[in-house]
Amino acid sequence: MTPRTIDGHRRAFTLLLRVYPRWFRDAYGEEMAILFGRRLERAREEGGVVRLWWRTTKDALATAVALRRPGRGEQRSHGNDGRGMGMDTLWQDVRYAVRHLTRAPVFTLGAVGLLAVGMGANTAVFTMVDALLFRPPPWQNPEAVVHVYQDSDEGDPSSSSYPATRDMAASPVFAAVAAISPSSAALEGSEGAVQVATEYTTASYLTVLGLAPLRGSWFGPEHDVAGGPPAAVVSAVAWRSRFGADPGIVGRAIRLNGQVVTVVGVGPEDLLGTYPPMVTDFWLSISATVVGGPFQVANLERRQDHWYDVRARLAPGASVEQAQAAMNALATRLAEEYPELNRGRDITVFPSADVRLHPGEDGGLFLAGGLLSALVLTVLLLACANLANLLLVRGLGRSGEMAVRTALGAPGVRVARLFLTESVLLAFLGGMGGVLIARWILSAVPSMPIPIPMGSAMSLEMDARVGLFSLALVAATGLLFGLAPALRAVRADVAQTLRDDGRNSSVGRGTARLRNLLVVVQVATSLVLVLGTALFARSLGALQGVDTGMDVDRLAFVRVNWNGAGLSGEEGVAAVEDLVARVTAIPGVSGAAAASRLPAQRAGSTTTEVEGYTPAAGTGAVELDFSMITDGYFQASGIPLLEGRAFGDDDVRGAEEVSVILNQAAVDRFWPGQAPLGRRLRGQGSETWTRRVVGVVGNAPVVGLGEAPRPLMYFSHRQVGGPPAYLVARVDGDPASVVNAIRQGVTGARQTLSVSAQGTLSDHLGATLAAPRLVAWLMGAFSALALILAGLGIYAVVSFSVARRTAELGIRMALGAHRGRLVSMVVREVVGVVGAGVVIGVGVSALAASRLESLIYGVGALDPVSFGGAVAVLVLVGWAAAYLPARRAALADPVEALRTQ
Amino acid sequence: MSPSSPITVPLRAPVYHILLALVRGDLHGLGIAEEIETASEGAVELGPGTLYRSLGEMVEAGLIRGAEAPHGDADPRRKYYRITSAGKQLLAAETARLDRLVATAKARQAMPEQA
Repeated sequence: MTPRTIDGHRRAFTLLLRVYPRWFRDAYGEEMAILFGRRLERAREEGGVVRLWWRTTKDALATAVALRRPGRGEQRSHGNDGRGMGMDTLWQDVRYAVRHLTRAPVFTLGAVGLLAVGMGANTAVFTMVDALLFRPPPWQNPEAVVHVYQDSDEGDPSSSSYPATRDMAASPVFAAVAAISPSSAALEGSEGAVQVATEYTTASYLTVLGLAPLRGSWFGPEHDVAGGPPAAVVSAVAWRSRFGADPGIVGRAIRLNGQVVTVVGVGPEDLLGTYPPMVTDFWLSISATVVGGPFQVANLERRQDHWYDVRARLAPGASVEQAQAAMNALATRLAEEYPELNRGRDITVFPSADVRLHPGEDGGLFLAGGLLSALVLTVLLLACANLANLLLVRGLGRSGEMAVRTALGAPGVRVARLFLTESVLLAFLGGMGGVLIARWILSAVPSMPIPIPMGSAMSLEMDARVGLFSLALVAATGLLFGLAPALRAVRADVAQTLRDDGRNSSVGRGTARLRNLLVVVQVATSLVLVLGTALFARSLGALQGVDTGMDVDRLAFVRVNWNGAGLSGEEGVAAVEDLVARVTAIPGVSGAAAASRLPAQRAGSTTTEVEGYTPAAGTGAVELDFSMITDGYFQASGIPLLEGRAFGDDDVRGAEEVSVILNQAAVDRFWPGQAPLGRRLRGQGSETWTRRVVGVVGNAPVVGLGEAPRPLMYFSHRQVGGPPAYLVARVDGDPASVVNAIRQGVTGARQTLSVSAQGTLSDHLGATLAAPRLVAWLMGAFSALALILAGLGIYAVVSFSVARRTAELGIRMALGAHRGRLVSMVVREVVGVVGAGVVIGVGVSALAASRLESLIYGVGALDPVSFGGAVAVLVLVGWAAAYLPARRAALADPVEALRTQ
Repeated sequence: MSPSSPITVPLRAPVYHILLALVRGDLHGLGIAEEIETASEGAVELGPGTLYRSLGEMVEAGLIRGAEAPHGDADPRRKYYRITSAGKQLLAAETARLDRLVATAKARQAMPEQA
């Protein structure tokens, strides 16, 4: 079939032209039509129109296909038409992406780094949240395991008294009931003592969980009674980490808190302890409660002491409801038998699936986990948004290339895949970096001073679940920030793009506004974080430089564990003075003393009535921190005696009055401007004034560095309490050099003594700052991340603006505009956006500052230096991020800039 | 865009014909097509796609280049092409190759002898 008229033939040829790539058609279509027209006329005269059409069509198809081959024309070997979706195409895409990414190493490294941080934080948080809240327990039939809680005095499900756990165990609804009391102890070894996490528990524990020990045995009935042989089971984790998986561990005797305990077995393989992800080092038998001291033993008989958590296994066929009914009956019985202790005290049964750590704490844990996840996810989303913007900016530079690809027949989808391949590749590299960062974060977490229940180690392993999460994260991230540029590639009007290089069609007003808003938010957030970092850093600096009122740099200490010595009264006094004398004799030590507390440490306080002082509110008594010391304490530690006398030989047990020495803060509080000496105090409820002030000393930190002046009361160890735990030595030279000698002096003095902590006072004070230091570090890390993100956002906005205005800038340059002026003209565009962010950030910070006041020291919450510095940092980052693309535009060849239009 | 690979001997027929057509002087696309047809007495007729695709590639390869229209041309929009020295060299090389080929063929008496 051929058309009848010349016009018909021409229209048909125009249709045929559409098989050619558009650019080819645009360039040659007109002339091709003329050529065809001439041949057509001749063919109509001479005959052979059909042959002409046949040859022309064949020619058009062959040429069109050849034109669409990569490296079109001569290379016919293994090209494809761009529509292939096989592995070859994928590899081609990947190779292309790699080549393209390596050509812009700064962008690539930056993007990968940013993604690594974002994904690392997410992976780490996921690992923690999963370990804490979601990982299934390693027990047999966990659905038959229940938690049982006696109410606290406030009526909330809480721990139970040991006698109550025996009552529960007597109920037939349970196959087994285990009582567990978490604690800690000092494990003594040849290298001194280390603190280990322990759980006192019953022989029924493994029956409840349905597990068997890895080696040796679990506790037997003989271990379930006070006075039985003290036994320990080392957890599988601790067996490996602390004993090198020594098979000879079973049967060995260890010393915990000075008590000898026999290791009877190694715990089940996967069981971290009762409170995962916290790792329990030792399970201790009820017969080993002596390790916890006399109170731990005594509470086994006391219904008013609630020290035990209960896990129970339901009897075969018994339901949670039946168990609850049985426990209701038990609660009623206990209320009748012990009305003063147990009236209204319910007992509640929870399926183990409903409780993670504790019914009262799970809500908070889930909230914290959710908040933390939301925080790191937001960071990652911001990173994605900014990277998408950057890819769009880069896409502008490549839109010509991409349009040619499309014109050459690469379908939009294929071009979009090039973008996606690139972004997924970036995400993949970022994900690998993220795993490394996550490992680093997770290894650092256990040493962070975060308030975890037992203060024990956490097991945060990255397992297959974490691996899956990371993979999903990589895929989602890659798609997320690659999608916008990819979609743009699909939608792009090729001809339009080829004509104007896409610079006019790039952004709608909506996206531009969104991009500006993103920058405002990021600038504001960064400012708040930078400001917070500045405040915390300055506060930390002030704390480190704070005047402690004592010779911190010359002091060393050891903490003595007196539990095993079993000394009473005068024996204890003599033993302490003996130790002090031994330490004083160590070469390099110029003085020594003992005290029941170190500076900047929470320790004992007593409710005290003060003669001549009535507190503004309450019962007329004050809660007063105290310390028991030996006579030379003030001299050794460098605390000045301001008035009266230090303790001496007259201050002995049985004296008519107890001598007390107060610090200046106490005097200022109780009797400002009056003479303190001779004034009296007494314990709350005491009939007579039994304590008399004999001296006043300077202030030293009581519970923390940088605290408001806090009253402290000193007793002589001869008059009050047992042997003080801390030996403090004043050293000529480096105090760290004599710490070991002091420890050996202590352990050499008596077999039964052990040292549970040691160090210099500077170390101790430094350690008390671990929490603020961690806060400062975290704030700093988030600030840096926020600044990078904000900088990227600004960079993208300016780059877009520059790209849109290439021609304008070119004309201005051609007309002789000064390049510097052009740069500032472009930079000025984002001043409003950055300024808005800064103003909002400052406003939010000023509002939030009052809440910070109590957390920082030595610097006001509205500290002008911090505010000024933060604003300066933001302005600097903003300027740098805007300057780079602006300068590049200004340095461009004006002719080139004009030609692009 | 990756640069198109250089055109080398042996030349594809359209390329050879185009070079041959331009040896005598500048022509535009339509002129080239007609010149080829005329010179080959209608035996060679390049399709429009082949013609313009080849022209594009040859410009890229530097064998021919755009030239200004001769004075008085009816349609100044038409693009004229001029053979470059590289084009001439390649044409010579290809002709020599063909020449040797023909000589070999003759030596082996591959062509039927004309009486």
